[in-house]
Order: sequence, then structure tokens, then C-alpha cells
Amino acid sequence: MAKKRPVATARKPKVKLSPRDKKTMARLTDVADRVVRAAKARRDPHVDIPSRTLSNVHYSARKKIIEMGNNKNRRKLFDLSQAKAYMRTVLVSSGCKRLLDQGKTTSLRGMYYMLKHTIEGSRENTFDTQNESDTIIEDVEVMLGSLREELHLYAQKKGDLVGNITINDSGFDIDCSRMGSGGYGIPSIVEPEVIKLDRKKCHAKFVLHVEKDTVWQRFNEDRFWEKHNCILTHGGGQPTRGIRRLLHRLHNELKLPIYCVLDNDPWGYYIYSVIKQGSINLAFESQRMAVPEAKFLGLRSIDYDRCELSDDVILAMNDNDRKRAKQIANYPWFAKKRPWQSEIQRMLKNDFKLEVESLISKDISYVTEVYVPERLSARDWLD
Amino acid sequence: MATTKRKKKRSASEPAVGKKTKKKKRPAPRSKPSASDATPVKRRSTAQAMAASQRDISVSEFFAKNRHLLGFDNPRKALLTTVKEAVDNSLDACEEAGILPEIWVHIEPTTGDRFKVGIQDNGPGILKKQIPLIFGKLLYGSKFHRLRQSRGQQGIGISAAGMYGVQTTGKPVKIISKISSRKPAHYYEIQIDTKKNQPKILNGRGDGVDIPPGDKGAAYIEKHGIEWVEQPHGTRVTIELQAKFIRGRGSVGEYLEQTAIANPHVSLHYIDPDDYEYAYDRSAKSLPAEPKEIKPHPYGIELGRLAQMLEESEAMSASEFFRTKFSRVTSTMAKRICDGAKVSTRSNVRKLDRTHADRLYQTIQQTKISPPATDCICPIGEDLVLKGLHQVVPGEFYAAATRPPSVYRGNPFQIEVGLAYGGSAPTQNVTEDLLLELLEETDTRTVRQFLIHTFNGLGGEAADKLVKEAALKTRQTPGKLQPKERHRLYEAMKKVNVAEGQQMEVLRYANRVPLQFQQSACAVTQTVLGTNWRGYGLSQSRGAMPKGPVSLMVHIASVWVPFTSESKEAIANYPEIQKEIRLGLQAVGRKLGMYLRRRLKVRQQSDRREIFLRYLKEVSSAVSEINGAKQKELYEQLVKVAKRQTTEADMKLDDRGRPIEDKGEELNLGDNVLIVDPSTHKAAINRVALEPEELEDDQ
Repeated sequence: MAKKRPVATARKPKVKLSPRDKKTMARLTDVADRVVRAAKARRDPHVDIPSRTLSNVHYSARKKIIEMGNNKNRRKLFDLSQAKAYMRTVLVSSGCKRLLDQGKTTSLRGMYYMLKHTIEGSRENTFDTQNESDTIIEDVEVMLGSLREELHLYAQKKGDLVGNITINDSGFDIDCSRMGSGGYGIPSIVEPEVIKLDRKKCHAKFVLHVEKDTVWQRFNEDRFWEKHNCILTHGGGQPTRGIRRLLHRLHNELKLPIYCVLDNDPWGYYIYSVIKQGSINLAFESQRMAVPEAKFLGLRSIDYDRCELSDDVILAMNDNDRKRAKQIANYPWFAKKRPWQSEIQRMLKNDFKLEVESLISKDISYVTEVYVPERLSARDWLD
Repeated sequence: MATTKRKKKRSASEPAVGKKTKKKKRPAPRSKPSASDATPVKRRSTAQAMAASQRDISVSEFFAKNRHLLGFDNPRKALLTTVKEAVDNSLDACEEAGILPEIWVHIEPTTGDRFKVGIQDNGPGILKKQIPLIFGKLLYGSKFHRLRQSRGQQGIGISAAGMYGVQTTGKPVKIISKISSRKPAHYYEIQIDTKKNQPKILNGRGDGVDIPPGDKGAAYIEKHGIEWVEQPHGTRVTIELQAKFIRGRGSVGEYLEQTAIANPHVSLHYIDPDDYEYAYDRSAKSLPAEPKEIKPHPYGIELGRLAQMLEESEAMSASEFFRTKFSRVTSTMAKRICDGAKVSTRSNVRKLDRTHADRLYQTIQQTKISPPATDCICPIGEDLVLKGLHQVVPGEFYAAATRPPSVYRGNPFQIEVGLAYGGSAPTQNVTEDLLLELLEETDTRTVRQFLIHTFNGLGGEAADKLVKEAALKTRQTPGKLQPKERHRLYEAMKKVNVAEGQQMEVLRYANRVPLQFQQSACAVTQTVLGTNWRGYGLSQSRGAMPKGPVSLMVHIASVWVPFTSESKEAIANYPEIQKEIRLGLQAVGRKLGMYLRRRLKVRQQSDRREIFLRYLKEVSSAVSEINGAKQKELYEQLVKVAKRQTTEADMKLDDRGRPIEDKGEELNLGDNVLIVDPSTHKAAINRVALEPEELEDDQ
């Protein structure tokens, strides 16, 4: 932080940077310095961004998580197809620097608005949609090796938690057993600076993660967490990084086993896969998010027969589903697991999907009173 | 490009019609013997009875029945062929006499589907006794027996037109001709006697009428309603015929326009049936060089013709015969031929018989004779090709190539190729004010028609696209459009890429006469299709016309143009001719390729620079925000890098990987190339000339 923008410091009160912010700031400055050096030497400025594709991730059988490989994509300023992306990358970097300077955090959408403007002398916008800035932000994360939180960015809040635990969120003690029907909204950033977990304040014995809000409501209304002394979470579909990070911390810091109740379809399988070993897109964060010990409780493809469900609740599979199922079966982290292969094959043979809600056809509280307790007591799950 | 497609279809269907009629005739005689085989009882006819009905067929009878061979297959084409034959004859006559041609073409509707067509020239005029023969007898003329570059060849055309007129309307052909202002003009009304192939004079008790010169004659002309534009000398032929008048492709207007391209020394005045007057003024003030008449080349002669020549010749030695009747035969050459054929050089040609002729013919084929003189051909010239094309075809790039003369079957010929490449379409160059003006003055009934007629080179398909884009109704009158609708039309014209899917347009000429039909049967079209245009920057799918806003003009000048039929619509496929056409196409193609590549390169370079420069400011200010670097300095440094990067990327490397200096920024394409700014091109838009009376009324 030798060089600092003089104007900004004069106008804004200087914020004291935390050691972590200092590290991030140094990385940001390095990117900018390289541009200056390249320009002085009349060279073509570029940045190297680790590639976030299936080809650049590998499954570590030892750590049981997806890890990012070493492939990097070079993004050049003086390349017609990359010039705009390069400009955006530098722009996002400068936005992050501004956030760090002022000691504020903003949402992804906030960042989009911070940087969105018309390029001088043209009708072109720096960003047209938020999606464009979101991908560049992920690029900057991997490029700097910094996490989104470290860049002072957070995503939309998603997912709720309820259960026998008291959490300290930004200095407030929150008793999650007294959340009523709404539950505690899991924030996007759940790092120790914001959320402090205390083993002594946790009485729950395990975490039950369900796919979406509606199922979670059922469990909460039936006070499942009270009866079975657990923590109940949902991710509203594909869990965001905040939820995954919290599950990771609950598992590792409080030693709570994680059980998942998800739909019986390719997307349910993939949600489990992301919780368990990390996602392809964010492979660089698997280390601090994946929970390799997470268990898949249901729904299983055998449940149609086992629970004697009626034909009315099945959903037909389409070509896309079948394709995705085969793809998932071929992922290295599923490929060598017999039970999983037969599970996926069974689903393909059934040729239909089952949602957790389908169990309601048996009884409104079948899932909370019969299905999950039975599975848990029988220790019947997929790993 | 729908129009060319239409044209193709039409020409493809024509020969089919011809075949059909032929086929119909054939089965009749064939079925006779088979019938007699089956039933040997009684013959239907005897040789004697059949002999009674066997007789001479006159040329005129033959062509009266087979008028499609001469280009009178339908009323639409009949009109064009009539004008064409008369104009071609007029031009030939003027040029032969050394007069700068001025031609008047008047088409006037009479009753129903009949039109009166009058064509007048300022030529030398015709002698009184020749008039009936020239206009009333098929195969009578001066051009058939000589080898000289001229438009007409057989002496069929104009008399056939007259015959068609008489057959369809019963009205005689009217001819008035004057050879000098002091001598009387001759006025004839003629019908052709198809049985005898002889003219039948109707007026002046079978002798024609002489109109005295001066005021007296003028009074006579006035009194009898004879059409004549006062001239010291010239000829006018008026034919009334059943016809159909069209505009656009294959029309009289198109023919005259294309004639003007290839004959910049001609002035044309044309009044169409709707009383619109068109004038094409000459842009060249001198006549083309006079083509020389040549003797036939030994290679170009067939055995039968050789035998006939021997028979018809006056008594002379064989050596003399070859030296005087053929070109390029010297006495040594004549001796070589005679020796080879075992004929004495001194023997009298009258005594040579068929076997001798055969041997002589064989020897000629084996003897090496220098090719015929080629100075007998008068090409248009690269300069005038460019001028003509530029005047009529809108575009931004023009190239022309005149090939050196060459020979097919002993006949010298020469190929000329012109190419016009039009960048943006005329519809995109028009301003809103001009469009409003055009809409005011047009007389077309629908917007679609308006678009097709006003903007040159715009096909029906493109017009439909524009109308659809402007959300107008198909049958809306252009004059009655609401201001809003006019604006929408303007917007659509700016937006729609009408050049999309446009195909190359080929204008074919033979001895300066435009060929408008039988496109696909023509050697020119086939050679264009067979040439690979992709190397010249045009896209082309296999076996199809290249795509793009390109017009191509191909002219073949020859003492004897090998047409595929008497209607002179397509050029026959001689390998020598195809080769020359191909070389000509390649010559202009190379220039087009150079131009297009350069244009593309310049555009790419500037595009690239622009994109970089656009982002550099953003990059430099973002960087300076992060590390406090001086924004301006950084920006300037980056701009320098950008400039170097773009030039480096465009730099060519030689085989050792060292950069080659680009020699000269200017594109050097040679002399015969014309590059213009298409937005200021006046040929792009057809404007309806306001009639003089209207102007007077305004005053």
C-alpha cells in the first residue's frame, strides 16, 4: 500500500485495514502495477486467470473433494476477443479496491451498479447485465486467490436455519431454537469475523439439510429439530456459498454430521455432490466448503416401491434429465461408487423423478414422522 | 435477384417448347410403315399420291411457321426482337457509312394488344429498288457473304419482323427512306408473300411513292400521316404488330439501355407506349474504328464450302485460287497445300473435282498456317467499357479488360470483360428528402413496383423484404402514403440489407448487341459459372452464380459470332472462346479481389484500433484508481502499444520471419479500373423526367 489514490484519502475518512484486507489490497495493487510496467515497457498487458471448467478440475480421492488444476487462461488487452473482458477485469479490481478503502461491503448487484456506465465515446456499456459482472467477479476471485468475502462482496441471502444452537452474528447472540416459523436467514458471509460458533452453545446432534423452503417449513412446523435434537437447514435449491460454508463450519468446528434430504432427480444428486465435494465452477473454494462426510438420506429411487407411492406423484423424465443423469454417473467422484451407480441406474430404469413433497400423498407429516426417522435409525443412506 | 432466376426459368423453358413441336411432327411418318406391317391389306397412300403433295418449302414459309427460331415466340419477345433487329440494322448502316448514329424508337399502342413500332435512323438511306427486297424478303442482305464484324449476319431479322407484323395484324410494313436532302424520299407499304418469299408492294400501284424534297414533300408527309422525323437522310420502318409491352427484365427499355452501355457513340431517343421519353446521349464523339472485311481463313472452311468455292470460282490456277480467296495463304503456303494434296499448283480449279477437294481439305487441316489477321475486329475498348458501365450500373468499383484477339475455327474474335462492384445498395444511400420527392413523382401503382423501378438492381425479393419491414400493405399506392408510413419506409430502406443473397448479374454482348435471353445456354454464363470466384473475394456455392452486388459485362466481337440459333440469343461453346472469356474474367476478378481484400484489411485494422482505443481509457482510469498511477500518462503509453500491436498484427512476414515493408499505401490496380463514391452515383436511382407540358403549366 505504498501508493494510494490521493484524492480518495483526502475526501473519505481513512479506514483502518485489517490484516486480511491488507493482503487483498496488495494483490490488487500488484495487478495494477503489472499494467503500468507493461505499458512502460511497451508490452501487451495481460492477466492469467485459472480456468474454471470441468477440464481444469480433478477429484482428489484422498481429500475427497474437487480441486482446481493449474490450467490458466491468459486474458490479453490487445486481443480483439478478450479486450472487453480484460477491461472488465481491471474495472472489477478497481471496484473492490474502492470497497476495501471505505471498509464497506456490497452485494454482487451493488458492484454491478458501481461499475456499470457507458464507455466514453461509444454507446457500449461496461456491463449490460448482472450476469456479466458476476462472472468477472468470480474471475477476479480466482485470479487474486482471494475469496469473495475478502473482496468485500456478498451475494443475495438464501436459505434458512433453525435448531438447537445459539449463534453469535455480528455480536448478537441468536438462539436458533426460538426463530418461530421463519427461521434464521443464513447470511452470505459466514466467516468467523461475522458469525461465531460456540461448541458449548450447541446442543444439536446433527444437521438435516433439505432441498428447499417448502420441505423445510414442513419439518419446522412439525418441530422435527426439537424432537430429534438437530439443526434444520435448507438452501433454496442449489445451496449458495454461505450455506455451504456454514455447513462446513458446523461439521468441522462443532463436529456435527450432515444429512441431506433432496429430490430424487439429477439436480438433487448434483446438489448433494456440490455439498459433499464442491462445485466445478468454484473448485478453488472446495477446501473450505466441501463436507466429504455428508450423507444422502433420500429420496431414493427405490422409494417408489419401498414407500408404496402412487403413480400420481411421479414426474416424467425428459431427455435433458436423462443426459444429465448419465453425466453425473460419469463424474469421477460417483464413478467408483457402486451404490451410487445402481441408484442412478435405478432412476434411469424407473424413468421418472420423485420430489420430496411426493411423500405428502402418504400423509402430510409422513416425511417428518416416518420417512426420515426410519432412515436415520436404520442408518440407511448413501455416502 | 429473383429477376435473374425468372430469366433463367424462361430461357430454360424456351427450348423445351421448340422440342415439343418437333416431336409432334415426327411420330406421324414413323407410324405409317408400322401400320402397314400390321395390316398388309391396303396402303393408305401411294408413292404417286404422296409425290403430288411434295413440293418446295420457301424460307419465308418455314420461318413463318417456326417464328420462335427468330425470337418471335411470344408477344412480349416479338416486340423486343422487332426493335432489336431494326436498331441493329440502323447501327450497322450508319457505322458502315461513317455517320454518328442517332436512333429514334417510338412504340405506340393502337388497339387492344397491338402496338405500332417505328424505328428511324440518320443512316445513308436505301436505294429505291432495294427497299422492298431488304424489308420484304427473307435472307436478303449484304452481311451474310462477307466476313466482317457487324451486328446483323443473316439478313433475316427485319423482314421476319415485318412478316410477323403482317401475320398478326394484317397491316403492311411502312418504310420511308431518304438518301439526300435534295433527292426525293421513297415511301413503301410492303407485305411479304410468304409462299414466294417475295415482297408485295401495296402503295403507288405496286411501285411505291416518291415524296419530293422540300416543303411539298413535308406537306405530303403531313397529309398522309406518314411518321418521319425530319432528317436530310435516313430510313424509318414502321411495323404494327401484336405484342405485349413490359418493363424491367427482357424489355425494350433494358435492351436500349444495354445498347447504350456498349455503344457510347450512339444517341438514342425512345418514347414508350406510356409516352415517357428516354434519351441516351452519346458520350463518345467519334465512331469506332471501321472493321475490315477479311477473306476466310483456310481453317475456318468446311469441305462442302471449299468444293463449292472451287466450283464457283472463275478459271484460275490452284495456287492463285488459294492466294486470292483466302487470308494468310502465300504462294509458298499454296504450293505446300497443293503438293500435299497431290494437285498441281498450275491446274485449273474448274477442273478439280470432289476427290481433289477432299484431299485439299485434309491437307489444309495438316498444314500449319498462321492465324488470321485480327485487326479486322473493333473492340469497344477498356476505357469506353468503364465509361459505359459507370454511366448505367451503380457501384463503387469498376474494372475492365480487353483480351488480345484470338481465333476459333479460323474466325478471329476478341473478348472484353467489364465488372462493376456496388458496395452498398442504392436504397441505403438515399436521403429522406430525396425519397419523399421520388414518392411524389412516381407513377407506379404499388410500393413494391415503385421500389423495383426506382432503384436499379433491386429485385422483387428485396422489394418484398423492404415492404414487409416497413409494415406497409402490399397494394398501397406510393403517392398516397401517410407521412408516418413514408418514414417507416425510409427506416426500412436504411435497415434492410438488400444485397443479402444478391447474385452476380451478367450482361452479355455480341458485336455490341446485348443478348437478353437463353442465359443458361450461353458460353458466357457457363464460363462465369465455371470460374472460381471465391479467390476474388466473392462467395459462391458450387455450380452457382457468385453472390454479391456485382454486375459483369462480357462482349464478344467477331467477324462471325457463333450463335446457338438464328434468334441470336446465346453464344455457342467453342473451347477457344470459353478460354478467352475465362482469361478475361480472371483479369477483372484479380482486380476485384485486390480491391476487396484491401478494403477488408483497412476496415479490420480500423475496427481493431477503435475497439482497443475505446477500452484503453477505462483500463487506464481503473488502474490509476487502484495504484495511483498517472492516468493520462498510462493512457498515452497504452495507446502507443495499441498502435504498435495493430500494425504488427497486420504486418506480413517473409519466409524468414522478417517483416515485409508494405510497398506503398496506395492500391495500384493499373489503368483500367475506376473507383467512385457510390453515395453520389446518379445512375443508382431512376428518376422520372417531368414532362415539358407540366413544367409549362407550373409557370
